[in-house]
Amino acid sequence: MTIRNVRDHGQRYRPRMACLKKVEALVLEMQDPKSGVKSQTQRLVITTIPHAITGEDIVAWVANRFNIDAREAQSIATLMVAFGYIYPLQDHKRLIIKADTSLYRFQTPYFWPAQQWPAEDTDYAIYLAKRNIRKKGVLELYEQEHYNNLHKWMNHKWDFIVMQAKEQYRAGKERKKPDRVVFDCQERAYWVVHRPPPGTISAMDYGLERLTDPNADEVKKKKTMDYYRRIVIFTQQCIMRSRVKSSVSLGAIVKYITTCKNHDPFLAMCLPSNPWLTDDTTYWELNMPNVEIPTKMRVERWTFGFRELLSDPRGRADFRLFLKKEFSGENLAFWETCEDLKWGAAATMKDKAQQIYKTFLAPGAPRWINIDGKTMDITVKGLVHPHRYVLDAAQTHIYMLMKKDSFGRYMKSTVFKETQKKAISPEEHKFSDAQLEQNAKKRKPNLSPIVLRQREEEEKARLAASGPMDITQLCKFTAPVPHLAVYTGICEAQLSHGRERQPPSPGFPTLPNSAACPSPISVAIDSTPASERKFEGQGGSAAAQFPSIAEVPLETRVSASARGPDESQLASQKSRVALSLSRFLRRGCGNASVLASLSPKCHSAMGGRVQPLSREPLSQPQPKRIANFFQIKVDIPPECRIYPIDSEDEENECTSRVRGTVKEIICPWESITKQDQAG
Amino acid sequence: MNRWRRSVGEIQARRRPLLECQRAQAAFVKGTACLQLQAACLGSNSDCSRLREELDETRALAHSLSTGLQKRLTTMLTQGELLQEERAEAERLWVLFLSGLEIFQQDLQKVILLQELFPLKQPRDRRSLVNTGGSGDGTGVTGRVTMSQMPWPKTQDQGGPCPDLSTQISQLESMAQEMLRKVNVPFWSVEATQEAWADSVDTEQDDDEPVEEMSVENVAAGPQRLSGCCHYPGCRVLCLLN
Repeated sequence: MTIRNVRDHGQRYRPRMACLKKVEALVLEMQDPKSGVKSQTQRLVITTIPHAITGEDIVAWVANRFNIDAREAQSIATLMVAFGYIYPLQDHKRLIIKADTSLYRFQTPYFWPAQQWPAEDTDYAIYLAKRNIRKKGVLELYEQEHYNNLHKWMNHKWDFIVMQAKEQYRAGKERKKPDRVVFDCQERAYWVVHRPPPGTISAMDYGLERLTDPNADEVKKKKTMDYYRRIVIFTQQCIMRSRVKSSVSLGAIVKYITTCKNHDPFLAMCLPSNPWLTDDTTYWELNMPNVEIPTKMRVERWTFGFRELLSDPRGRADFRLFLKKEFSGENLAFWETCEDLKWGAAATMKDKAQQIYKTFLAPGAPRWINIDGKTMDITVKGLVHPHRYVLDAAQTHIYMLMKKDSFGRYMKSTVFKETQKKAISPEEHKFSDAQLEQNAKKRKPNLSPIVLRQREEEEKARLAASGPMDITQLCKFTAPVPHLAVYTGICEAQLSHGRERQPPSPGFPTLPNSAACPSPISVAIDSTPASERKFEGQGGSAAAQFPSIAEVPLETRVSASARGPDESQLASQKSRVALSLSRFLRRGCGNASVLASLSPKCHSAMGGRVQPLSREPLSQPQPKRIANFFQIKVDIPPECRIYPIDSEDEENECTSRVRGTVKEIICPWESITKQDQAG
Repeated sequence: MNRWRRSVGEIQARRRPLLECQRAQAAFVKGTACLQLQAACLGSNSDCSRLREELDETRALAHSLSTGLQKRLTTMLTQGELLQEERAEAERLWVLFLSGLEIFQQDLQKVILLQELFPLKQPRDRRSLVNTGGSGDGTGVTGRVTMSQMPWPKTQDQGGPCPDLSTQISQLESMAQEMLRKVNVPFWSVEATQEAWADSVDTEQDDDEPVEEMSVENVAAGPQRLSGCCHYPGCRVLCLLN
C-alpha cells in the first residue's frame, strides 16, 4: 500500500505533455523498414544484439525528415534521447546524441514516458533491490542514498519489494541471454531518465502538479441548466471584450519582434555568454540591478519605451538623475509612491495615503504634482476611504505625463547620452570544451539573500541621503515615514521653532508647507470640507490633528524666495506657532503612534514614548539654520541623521547638537525594494 | 494422547489459512513479475499474438490468485480469531498483498494502453513495432508461472472466469477499496523482516556479467551489416539491411 500525501490541495495531476505524443509518432516513423533508420548489430563478447543505430544515422534521418540543418536535427534527436525514447548503449548516463558512430537503441514502449503515470518509487525500489541482489556493491552513491531513503520510507512494504525483486530476477534468468541483456539495458535507461543522477538536467521536469486532471473527460459531464448558464455567461463576456483588427495586432507583434529580437537570449547571442549554457556568470554580474555602468544592450532597451526604462532599476536611476537636473522629480517620486501603496502591506495603507496626500497632492504641498482638476477631485474624494488603488487615476495621469513629456527630453538629454557613451559591450566568450567542464566544476551558489538585502538597504540609504531632487526647502527626514523619506519634504523650519531638534511627532514635518489643509482623513472625521479649513483659526474643540497647520498661513510656503522676508515672517509667527504647538502636542501623541506605525522598523509601542516636546523658544542658532534652508540646491549633506522617535537619549543628544549643523541620515527603510519590484 | 493429537491437528488447521495465504502471496508476486516481463515486450519487435495469449494466461492466473487471496485475508482479519503473532503475520500479508495489487493494476493499465497502441490484427501493423533488439519471441516466461501450483484446491476457486482487461482493472480498483474499507490495518505498523541490503539470491553466478560491463563493449567493426543480423529466424523480417 502506498502512503499518499493528501496535503497537496488536490494538485496531483501531471500536466499535459503534448510533446510526448509527437515524439512517439516520430519514433514509430523511424521503424519503417523502408524509410526508417537503418540499424546494425551490436557485437558483445557473448552475443550479438540487433537493432543498434548510430547517432549520425539518427541525426541524418531527422534532418532529412524535417528538412532542417544538422544542428537542429541534433537538438531534436537529443530531445528524443532525453525523454527516453532512444537510449545510448555506450556512456549510458549522458542522455545526448553524439552525431558519430556511437550506438543507440529504441526503448520498448513499456518503458516510454507516459503523462498519466509518473515513475513510481515502488518500482524504483524494486529496481535498485534487483540490482543489488544481482551483484552487491554495484549501486552508485546517489542510488545508495535513494535506496536507503526508500527503505526508510517504504519500510512497511519492504518485504514485498525484496520478494518482487527476487522474482523478477529469477524470471529474467529464464529468458535467453540476448533478451536478458536487452531488457536490462532498457530498464537501466528508463531509470536514468526518470531518476537522473544529481547534477544533470532532466527532460521530465515539468514544474508543479496541476489541480485538474488533463485526461479527465469533460464531455461526459451532465448538461444541466447550470452548465448551459455558465456557457452563456462565458460567451457573453467574450463578445463584450474589446476587439482589435488582426492586422493591427499582428502589426504590433511584428514590430515588437523586430525591435526586441536581438535582445532575446534564445534568438540572439547573449553577451558575453549565456550563464545557463557556459556556467560563467559574467553576464549576470554585468547586469545587476544597480550596476554602475550598464551594458549597451541594456541601454538600448531603455529606448524601446518608457515602461522598459522604468522597470529597469538602473534605467530608473538614470531617469531620476535627469529629472533631478530638471527639477521635476516629484512626478517620478509620486509614481513610485503610488506603486508602493499598491503593493505594500495593508496595515500601513491608510497612513501612507495620508502622507502621500500631504506631500504631493495638497495645495501647497512640498512636492506638488500637476494633475488636472477632475483627477485631483476624484483622488481626494477617494482618499477619504483609502484603498490600494485609490491613486490609480492620478498615477496614470502622471505616468502619461512623464511618458509624453519627460521621456522624450530624457532621450535627447546629456545624461542619457553620457550613459550611452559609457555603456560597455563585452566580448563574447569562446570557451573550449575543457573550459566548459572547468566552469561546470567551479559553479558556486549565489550570494545569500541576506547579504543581497543588506546591500540593497545600503544602496537605498545612500540614495535617500542624497536627498530628493525637487524639494525647494531643506528637509529633515523622519523615521516614521521611512519609505517616503526620499520624497517627503519635511520642513525644518517648523521644528526649529518649537524646540531643539528632537524627533518630532510625525505630524510636524509637513506643517508649514503642507499648508493649511489637513489630510482628508481628518477631514472625514470632522466632516468639514478641506478647503474651508485653510485659514481657520484653531478652535480648541476641533479634533483637528494638525491644528498648527491651520495656524501657519500660506505665506510661509516656501519657494525660491529671498531669505530675508521669510526669516522675519517666521520669527514673527514664532509665538503663534508656539501656541499652536502646545495645542498640537496635546493631540500629538495619538498622531505619533498612528504615523509611527508606518515604519516597519519602528517599535510599535510608539504612543507612550513620545515625550512632550519642550517648549523652549527658539535658540540662537536657529536663524542661521533658517538661512540655510531656502536653497534651490537641495543636496543635503550626507551626514544628516534621523532620530527614531522612541529614543529619548537622542532627544537629549539633539539639544547638544543644535549647535552643530551637521546631521546624519540613517534611513532604516525598505521602500526602494518594493518600488523596484513593483516597477 | 488423543487429545494431544487433536490439538496438534487443531493448531495445524488453524495455521492452514495463513500458510495458504503466504503461498498464494508468493505465487502472486511471481505472477506479477512475469507479467511485467511480458508487458515489456509489447509493442516491440518481439510482440506477437502468442505473447499476448501468454499474457492473458498470466493475467488469469494472477486474477484467480488475487481474488482468492483477497477473500481469505479479509475473512481472516475480520472474523477469524487469531493469536497475536498470527494477527501480525496476517496484517503483514495484507499490506504486502495490497502493494502487489497496486503494481498489478499499474502493469495492467500499461498493457491495455500498449495493446491499443500496437494492434496486431493486420500484418502491416507489424511495421510500426519498435525495433528494440529483442529476439523473435518474448515467450518462455510463462512457463515459470504455470509451474507454481495453486495453493488451495481448485474447487474453492470461485473467482469466475478471467474478465477482460478493462473490467479487470476496475475490478482491482474496487477490490482494493473494499479491502481498505473492511479492514483497518495501519500499514505503518508493519515492519520489514528483511534487512535493507539483502543478500544475493543464489550464489550461482553463471555467466551473468552485469550489464554495466556489457555497455562498455565497443561494437567491433561497426557497419558490418549481416544479411541475417542475428541468428534468430524471426528477426530477419524486421532487421533493416544496408
